[in-house]
Amino acid sequence: MIKMDRRALLKRGGALAGMTAASAAFGTPLIAQTRTLRVGSYGGYFEDSFKEHVFPAFTAATGIEIESITQPNSSDWLVTMQQATAAGSVPSDLSLYARDALIKASRLGGLLKPLNMEMIPAAANLDPYFVFESEEGALGVGAMSWFTSMVINPNEVEAPATWADFWDSSRYESSLGLSKNFNGQLLDITAATFFDGEATFATDEGILAIIAKVAELKPNVALWWSAESQMEQAMKNGDVIGGQYYLDVSNLMASEGFPIRAVFPKEGNPQDYGSWCLSALSDKDAEAAEFINFSSDPATQALMSRRIGTAPLVAKEKTDLTDEEFAFVSGTPAIRPAYDAYLDKETFIKEAWDKMLAGA
Amino acid sequence: MSVVGHPEPAMAESPRKARADAVQAADDRGALGHRFLRAGVTTLIWCVVLFLCVVPLGLVVAISFGHKVEGAGWEWAFTFENYYRFLVGANWPAETTFLYLTQLYWSMRYAVVASVLAVATALPFTYLLTRQSRRAQARWLVFLLTSLSLSEVFIVMGWDIILSNNSGLPVLFSASGLTDWMKATGWFDVLRDWGLASPRNVKFKTSEFATVLTMSYLVWPYAVILLYPALSRLDPSMAEAARTMGARPWTVARTVILPAVRLPLMGTALLLFVFLLGGYVAVTVFADPAKQTTAVSVFEHVRGSTLNAPFGAAQSVILLVTAAAFLVLGQRLSRRSEGAS
Repeated sequence: MIKMDRRALLKRGGALAGMTAASAAFGTPLIAQTRTLRVGSYGGYFEDSFKEHVFPAFTAATGIEIESITQPNSSDWLVTMQQATAAGSVPSDLSLYARDALIKASRLGGLLKPLNMEMIPAAANLDPYFVFESEEGALGVGAMSWFTSMVINPNEVEAPATWADFWDSSRYESSLGLSKNFNGQLLDITAATFFDGEATFATDEGILAIIAKVAELKPNVALWWSAESQMEQAMKNGDVIGGQYYLDVSNLMASEGFPIRAVFPKEGNPQDYGSWCLSALSDKDAEAAEFINFSSDPATQALMSRRIGTAPLVAKEKTDLTDEEFAFVSGTPAIRPAYDAYLDKETFIKEAWDKMLAGA
Repeated sequence: MSVVGHPEPAMAESPRKARADAVQAADDRGALGHRFLRAGVTTLIWCVVLFLCVVPLGLVVAISFGHKVEGAGWEWAFTFENYYRFLVGANWPAETTFLYLTQLYWSMRYAVVASVLAVATALPFTYLLTRQSRRAQARWLVFLLTSLSLSEVFIVMGWDIILSNNSGLPVLFSASGLTDWMKATGWFDVLRDWGLASPRNVKFKTSEFATVLTMSYLVWPYAVILLYPALSRLDPSMAEAARTMGARPWTVARTVILPAVRLPLMGTALLLFVFLLGGYVAVTVFADPAKQTTAVSVFEHVRGSTLNAPFGAAQSVILLVTAAAFLVLGQRLSRRSEGAS
């Protein structure tokens, strides 16, 4: 009975997430009894799945209560956290950042607190690439990953064996939906298909050559999408018959009967991943470490793959995922985005990309 | 008696005077209180204006001179690099691009075309509306006011569905055989050249057509509501007199009605223009990236992954100055035409 009341109170506190300061003061006497942690994740279906499947499992295992915080995405959230940190009170202890936002946060400085890796032994299950180390220490540990996949409408076209097919106007004139953002990974796809992959990003000439190659695609693009929902609608409505889209959502749409099929062409699909990062103003170091340790466990990685549709960051052999379950969320080969180039030359790449799109 | 009686009037007078003095003093005090109150309210209003308008605007201007740190955020500075970038690109002088000026051009082009279109179609509608019965007018106006509660997002979503391949006009085109007829007669290839068709069917998104259509739809109710007062004050006997003198309806419209509402017409168009200059949703959804506007670029730089608030701020300042310039220009023009008539 008492526990019920406490939950109700905590829930109400969560509803007032916007007024964090108020809810924090409100919750103080309760925290004295229960250990809590505020964890950010991308809103909507993603966050709902976390609240329904992952957080309860963690609370059951450790007794630490999780308050879920809605993040719009990682780059907007970084702006929010930057302003909140300057103001002295942050809405969340752990945030979920994609690698580019994580590197940016580490360069901005003063936003993230190094993690105590000794308390996170399960991180050894991950490829070292997914533990982000800076001079201060480990600032982020991989949470889950996601693929941007080649997608097609199987009622309209055959599955291409290579991304290069998208450049064929006789098949795809005014028919594709591709990401409008310069870092939407179309550059990485093009570099992997026609150039030397990430290495080509090393010089300005290389970058311009990749962008020039993307320009050849323009007659085949019906939609340059900036929001995920635009591409979803365009595939459902038949405004496009192919393009690039998130692997898990594509498979979800296909299982609901929509005419979409995710394809792994020979060059592969770009893989991006999210990391758990601790706010510099948080004093929940221990709770955060326990949560990240839990999240790095192969069983949790498999749970997330099944329930949320993210790709595991541990080898498939370590999990109990079936081939079918694994293919739903992951695949090979993976194209790794040229994160450093996107950051070191961001103004240059963005402007060259925008010029290409504008034909200016 | 008189001894007693003499001071009487004095005594009688002095309380009266005292009372009058007291009333006077109270009045003075009241006036003083009033003055204090009024000064307080005025100060409060100024503080609110300062806090809500001047400070944010000042911040935007201040940030527009900031310096972008590559791969991170930005820092306070006093540099014109963001303004230079707007005019000639980030790599100037090695390379010059008019990318951002082109975006400003599209901002203005959409706003001009859509506002003129809205005013031009709302004018005959509103004129006919003012000739209806009071009851009918009231119904129409209530309906139009209600439609204002639809946000830009809703309207764009609606048109998105109307123009979509499987749920909108293109289905109508292919189901009615219009697509096949156009393919047979060669019109289809013309549409493909204009970017209004894929090899399979007609396609209205992304296109300038869809963008302008949605934008003018968005402001159309405003146009009616803004034109209504002027048109309803128009004396019907003027048009009737012209008609009895043998003028055709078009001549009446051109020589009687239009000159009478010229000023409100211009004012409405200007207001809608400024309103549309910052349009965001319709442009992101319906315009090709080659034809996107400054407002979209501002958002991409401030909230996008580059965190380049200074360049976003500089673009906003330029957009603001452009809007102000158009307003001043419009006012000059209308004042001149006023002087001429």
